[in-house]
Amino acid sequence: MNDNYTHIILADDDEDDRLFFEDAFEELKMATKVNTYNDGVYLMDYLNKKDAIIPHILFLDLNMPRKSGKECLIEIKNNDRFKDLVIAIYSTSASEEDIEDTFVQGANIYIKKPSDFKKLKKILSSVVTTNWQYHTNGLNRSNFLLRL
Amino acid sequence: MAFVKIYKSSWFVKVVFVVSLFLILFVAGLGYKHITEVSESQSLVLETYEVSVELEKILSYLKDAETGQRGFFITQDSIYLQPFFKSRRKINNTFAELKSLTKANPTQQENLKQLNILIEDRLENFEIASKYVLKDQTDLQRFKNVFFDGKQIMDAIREKLNSMISLEKESLKKREEAYQNATRFTPIFLFSIIIFTLLLLYLAYVKINSNLDQLKQKNQQLLVFKESTNQSEIINKHGSWRWDIEADTFHFSENLFRLLGEKPNSFEHTPENFNRFVHPDDLDKLSKQVEQMREDKDLPFIHYRVIHKDASIHYLKAYGKSIVNSEGKTQLLGTTTDITDEIDYLNKLELRNQELELNNKELAAFNYVASHDLQEPLRKIQTFLSRLEDKEAINFSDSGKKYVERIHAAATRMRLLIDDLLQYSRTNKSDEVLIKSNINTILEEAKQDVAETILKENASINAAHFPEMKVIPFQIQQLFSNLLGNSLKYRSKDKDPVIDIAYESVYKKSDQRLLNALDENYHKIIFKDNGIGFKQEYAKKIFTLFSRLHNKDEYSGTGIGLSICKKITDNHTGFIFAESAPTKGAIFTIFLPK
Repeated sequence: MNDNYTHIILADDDEDDRLFFEDAFEELKMATKVNTYNDGVYLMDYLNKKDAIIPHILFLDLNMPRKSGKECLIEIKNNDRFKDLVIAIYSTSASEEDIEDTFVQGANIYIKKPSDFKKLKKILSSVVTTNWQYHTNGLNRSNFLLRL
Repeated sequence: MAFVKIYKSSWFVKVVFVVSLFLILFVAGLGYKHITEVSESQSLVLETYEVSVELEKILSYLKDAETGQRGFFITQDSIYLQPFFKSRRKINNTFAELKSLTKANPTQQENLKQLNILIEDRLENFEIASKYVLKDQTDLQRFKNVFFDGKQIMDAIREKLNSMISLEKESLKKREEAYQNATRFTPIFLFSIIIFTLLLLYLAYVKINSNLDQLKQKNQQLLVFKESTNQSEIINKHGSWRWDIEADTFHFSENLFRLLGEKPNSFEHTPENFNRFVHPDDLDKLSKQVEQMREDKDLPFIHYRVIHKDASIHYLKAYGKSIVNSEGKTQLLGTTTDITDEIDYLNKLELRNQELELNNKELAAFNYVASHDLQEPLRKIQTFLSRLEDKEAINFSDSGKKYVERIHAAATRMRLLIDDLLQYSRTNKSDEVLIKSNINTILEEAKQDVAETILKENASINAAHFPEMKVIPFQIQQLFSNLLGNSLKYRSKDKDPVIDIAYESVYKKSDQRLLNALDENYHKIIFKDNGIGFKQEYAKKIFTLFSRLHNKDEYSGTGIGLSICKKITDNHTGFIFAESAPTKGAIFTIFLPK
């Protein structure tokens, strides 16, 4: 954790989305290390390992088989080890219900997956460069859904 | 007026009869008294005459005695003394007679006593005189004295008798006068009382007659009422029943039998007979409730089923309430209604509701498919397309580039359609609660939604200050951003868009468009732009789903945006209206209930 990289994890069951995500960071050429997991179970298995490197930012898809994003969110928020972890919800839908639920559960930001690669890059770079230490203090419902 | 009031009152007849009875008794008593008085006075008159006659008789007997004595004096023959002795006897008889006749009159009794003494004296005088004649004819002087004494006594007797007769006559006269005084007015008095009594009786008769007429009329009305009740029971499929609790007897109306599929009065009016028709599963419940009714003297609404002869099942509903009748007896009046149609209707409605619920669930599932599963492949197509445009565009031929461009346009339009449809179906949710919200913040958020366009089109938005309103916040935000987006999209080409948003608090009556509104007070929000506007004839059409006024080559759009606006105001039991003319800009007016 003492290196200068920003550690990023994405949990998403969709192969294409994982590909876009990795490509985007590759093209962004930021000091990031990206790991992806295929669903919530794989993700939690990793995070619960004692020697796991806890990432700076976790991108969490909501609709995943076996263990959904919401279940992961609750588990993470109930564990003090992850109190500094920034959680970005990364989902296809942006239904009021999902936004409300994840906000209440303590996610930091809600990203609706864009349909344009350039926009995706823009979003991801914005999330990574946000000073979350500062941002977390001013967390509120009206800027929870990321708009660019 | 007071008399009319008395005449109208129900106790009038009774009082008249009692009064008449007393008056007749009075008249009878008075008549009896009058007649008794007449006969009494008659007997008194007779008595007076008798007394006079007896008195006259006494005088005449004395005269007989005197005549006999004188005959004896002259002839010295004792034969002449016979009338004297006879007279003496007769006088005694008459005296006794007189005594009894005048026993009610003390004056005459006194007179009689004095008369008696005088007569005794006279008779003694006769005897003394007679002795003188027999013994010694010489002492003429003494005889003369005795004889003179006799004459004097005789005169006194005559005088006494006359005075007694005149006294008797006088008393007769007095009596007659007094009697006439007392009875002069009696006949007229009696007559008038009888006339008055007859009048009273006549009034009572008239009253009874009119009461009878009224009774007849009331009876007629009752008959009509009963018949109309019967008809109403048939039409409304209900029957009534009465339970006299003290006597424990029941009475069922005709239609109650028909509710059981029977002819009126086809069986005796008893609960046992009625229960024969009740559905076996409901019999226990019904019996318990009837038992309860015995205690409570009231029957709440109860439902049960009956089975007709044709085996058809009918649903009945009953209700009862106890009253105390004019005789102080408690009666339970009940109504039973056939609600089979209602139940059938309810069941059908229930079925429909279930179908609708199922449909809604399917729709919700479809929404999810549309929102998530359909979006995902589309998003990927678009993302890959953007990658293709970025990385591979240089390798394309001109027509290849054109195709990619077309694919891009089509995919964009598909996304728009899916998004809008999703929005539209989301506003379907009717179970959202109204929250007191700051409309100014909501408008700011709506502006954020279209911030990019505002910047691009160099638009200015002037908004008034809004009070708090009870709304579904995310829907109102959707409404505002749709209206803003609409104004920005249909902007005029030669001037920068300006959108004025005004607020007013209005009464229902102040705007004729609110004629059918349910509430009294409304928030009025007006969006006014300087865009291209539209013909007023389309003012209604633009709110219907998929309706568009322009070709999609001119203006992109799905024809859903304003339908969403309409749906949102509907959800708030509010209204939205549009006014416009080509090139004159458009005014959208929203009314939300306070």
